Amino acid sequence: MKKLFFITLAAFAFTACEKDDPIIPNEEELITTLIYTLTPDGGGNPVELKFQDLDGDGGNVPVISGGTLTSNTTYSGSLKLLNEIESEDITLEVEEEGDEHQFFFSVSGLNANVDYADTDANGKPVGINTTLTTGATSNGQLTITLRHEPAKDASGVANGDITNAGGETDIEVTFDVAIQ
Amino acid sequence: MSLFNKISLLLLLIPFAGLSQNNCNISLHGQALDEVTGKPLPFASIYLEDIQKGTSADADGYFAFDGLCPDTTHIRISHVSCEPLRQYLIIQKDTILNLYLHHHEELMDEVLVHGRHSDQTIENSGTIDKDLISQRSNQDLSKVIEEITGVSTLNTGSGISKPIIHGLYGNRIALLNNGVAQAGQQWGNDHAPEIDVFSADHISVVKGVGALALPGSSLGGVVLIEPGATSEDPHLHGSTNHVYQTNGRGFTVNLELEQGGLEKAIRFNGTLKKGGDLHTPDYFLNNTGKEESNASLFYEFGKSKAWQKKLYASTFNSTIGILRGAHIGNLTDLLLSFERETPFFTEEVFSYEIEAPRQRVHHHLAKLEAENAWAGNQKVSLTYAAQLNQREEFDVRRSGRSDTPALSLIQFNQQASALYERNFSKGLLLRTGLNGAYTDNTNQPETGILPLIPDFNRFDEEAFLIIQNEKAKLLTEIGGRLSLNQLHVVTISRDLPRRIERFNHQFSNVNLAGGLAYSPSRVLKLSVNGGYVERAPAVNELYSFGLHQGVSSLEVGNQNLEKEKSLKTTTSLDINWNDKLFLQLLGYAQSIRNYIYLKPAPEPELTIRGAFPLFNYDQADAFFRGFDALLSLEPVESVRLVSKLSLLKGTDQSNGIPLVFMAPNNLSNEISLSLPDGQRLKNSRISGRLKSVFEQKNYIEGLDFVNPPPTYHLFEMEFHTALSTEKNAFHFSIRGENLLDVSYRDYLNRQRYFADELGRNLTFRVQWEF
Repeated sequence: MKKLFFITLAAFAFTACEKDDPIIPNEEELITTLIYTLTPDGGGNPVELKFQDLDGDGGNVPVISGGTLTSNTTYSGSLKLLNEIESEDITLEVEEEGDEHQFFFSVSGLNANVDYADTDANGKPVGINTTLTTGATSNGQLTITLRHEPAKDASGVANGDITNAGGETDIEVTFDVAIQ
Repeated sequence: MSLFNKISLLLLLIPFAGLSQNNCNISLHGQALDEVTGKPLPFASIYLEDIQKGTSADADGYFAFDGLCPDTTHIRISHVSCEPLRQYLIIQKDTILNLYLHHHEELMDEVLVHGRHSDQTIENSGTIDKDLISQRSNQDLSKVIEEITGVSTLNTGSGISKPIIHGLYGNRIALLNNGVAQAGQQWGNDHAPEIDVFSADHISVVKGVGALALPGSSLGGVVLIEPGATSEDPHLHGSTNHVYQTNGRGFTVNLELEQGGLEKAIRFNGTLKKGGDLHTPDYFLNNTGKEESNASLFYEFGKSKAWQKKLYASTFNSTIGILRGAHIGNLTDLLLSFERETPFFTEEVFSYEIEAPRQRVHHHLAKLEAENAWAGNQKVSLTYAAQLNQREEFDVRRSGRSDTPALSLIQFNQQASALYERNFSKGLLLRTGLNGAYTDNTNQPETGILPLIPDFNRFDEEAFLIIQNEKAKLLTEIGGRLSLNQLHVVTISRDLPRRIERFNHQFSNVNLAGGLAYSPSRVLKLSVNGGYVERAPAVNELYSFGLHQGVSSLEVGNQNLEKEKSLKTTTSLDINWNDKLFLQLLGYAQSIRNYIYLKPAPEPELTIRGAFPLFNYDQADAFFRGFDALLSLEPVESVRLVSKLSLLKGTDQSNGIPLVFMAPNNLSNEISLSLPDGQRLKNSRISGRLKSVFEQKNYIEGLDFVNPPPTYHLFEMEFHTALSTEKNAFHFSIRGENLLDVSYRDYLNRQRYFADELGRNLTFRVQWEF
């Protein structure tokens, strides 16, 4: 009995080998990059606002590039979400689940206004396509928020007011923007 | 209480002359005694079921049966305000039988439950017995042991709770299920112990530091979950327990079956639980359902042989829903949640449905133990155990990924131990042993997310020696333990390209403990116990990286952590005044150097999902001091008053600030009244309890996201009665919790940021013993 016991003890002490290399997970859900492209309605060069965190949480810090807009101009805005690790376009996922997602745009210090230019299956806005209208010259920030499972019927939400939206934040990025 | 209380019944069979008598003139004499005080229980009733003879004890607890024929029978003994006891008896010769009942279950401890003459120790402990376990079998293990003073729980909502002993929890607490150190993901604040409370015969909490013989960390106390001894009764006995609770419309069904014997014994134990959305006084807590299915099998063989063998196997499977409104994104979401009256996603619809966020946990254990006692004073026991733990946590995710776990871990653990015990003459006892454990933890790559904790292998080896000396009224103990931990970690880098990196850590720990217990008379018992314990940092403290569900913060490990060094002393004083008033006082102080904690970083971490509070594992010197008190008063036989008080203060000495998540001071006062036995209904009692949890005042602004909630008081009532027939016993009870439907939040609940605690809950229970 005793012998058997020590054999067992020894067996598990020595058979335990080095751990195998872990399989690096396929981070298909990760969003590394958000690009908000603003194209002036009357023609001209598009402006690109970009947030890029290529390695996800931790590691290197994200790179954020803001932009300069022209005053009293209407822009067509379009959002693109990318997973650059897996080379995937996440915009499509959000579009497909449009009824479970909504982007919100808020400005501080900027004379600008963002309106929705798209709808989900239920006729509620999603915010992948927008119209941005600038006013007088100003400097400030534009914050873009993506909520997953927001209360799309709640008061003000369809007009872009985030207050009653709830849900959880999948994206929240802030850009420095100047209107000249 | 039929077969359940066998362990608590200390059977003293003293054969007279040993002559076999085949004629019907055997006498059975005995005394009914209180397990705790040893005091006689007057007028207890004793019944020999199979012979159909009954009698009453006299004023001194003595009873006598004469003219019995050689036979076997079940003996049942009951006494006012005690759970009745049932025991198998072989009548062969004249016998003196002392029967011990749990008259004072609130005063039970680990020494008493194992009998006065074995397992003597100077450790301070509190014990929950099977009666209470059966009554609370719909609750979690941690919630049940919260009945012991000095024990509190760290909760995530109402479905997940972890025990806190004297302010310490998680990696600093060892849980021993059936003598096996519970493996699994104990580091997580939202990971409940994977143990079915009903599988235990009794549960003890060791509060001091003397638990060196037990494997695992004992820096912050030990919880012992024990199955109890099997009986010699060759008949099949068992019990079923049906519980319904109104809050969450939860059902619990338990079944226990046991067939004992002189040679072998077998016991089966199973539990099924299902509950739906719980509710606060004002709203539903959506997605807080729970399902559990557990079973265990205990097989003892070779009971009469030199080597007595025990085989134990158990399986625990649970799915727990987590409040949808507590699953949030970033710091902005968190701040928004704080301001809301009701959590996001609250709907006035009840459902049993469990959706993401949820946890699915499986835990399987197999254990083989062999014990050999010889020469009346020596004992050796060998144990091998294997555990498999699988944990999956599901988040609300995009594109149908909510059914893909966001965390998926498999842990395999093996343990072996060899213990030797020898009783020398003159009260000297020596215990020594070796423990070894191997843990293999692997992330499953299906998650599509970089793992929160890395893959690792860990080896733990321990050797201990304890010497005990009992001289008249003084019991002294001294012991030491050496342990060696080796950790091999394989991580995936956070920056690109993703790389696999390997790290090794080695720690050696020294533990020393000593103490003495002095009881100059039956009135007084004084014990002092002190010890030095070292603990190596755990893998999550060294390597975790990622978001912790529900609290929306990034936790980052620190590879340079050193081991914790703790010095703890406990002093206790037990007073028994006239067997009417019992007072247990326990004071403690614990100083921990290099105490590992999460330190908030000055700047939040910026990610594409916004800003997150960042916490780094760091070390500081911590100091804990506290006081537990228990008062039990029996002014007249049928009335009992039980008061419990726990005080604690935890300080971060390096930074001169209070520690977070310290149990607030609390007080509980209970009065119970035993009703006279009726024609059929016996052992009826009614009790009321007021529980007060005070505001955590040892706090400074900014220590936590939200300030501690205010003081609250809860009122509970319980009614119990029992019906005994020839071979069966039925117990009925109704229990009401938070009867005044008070809205409150608890400091130790991590979901207090989002939602209130539970509203009124009524629990109905029927137990059938056969």
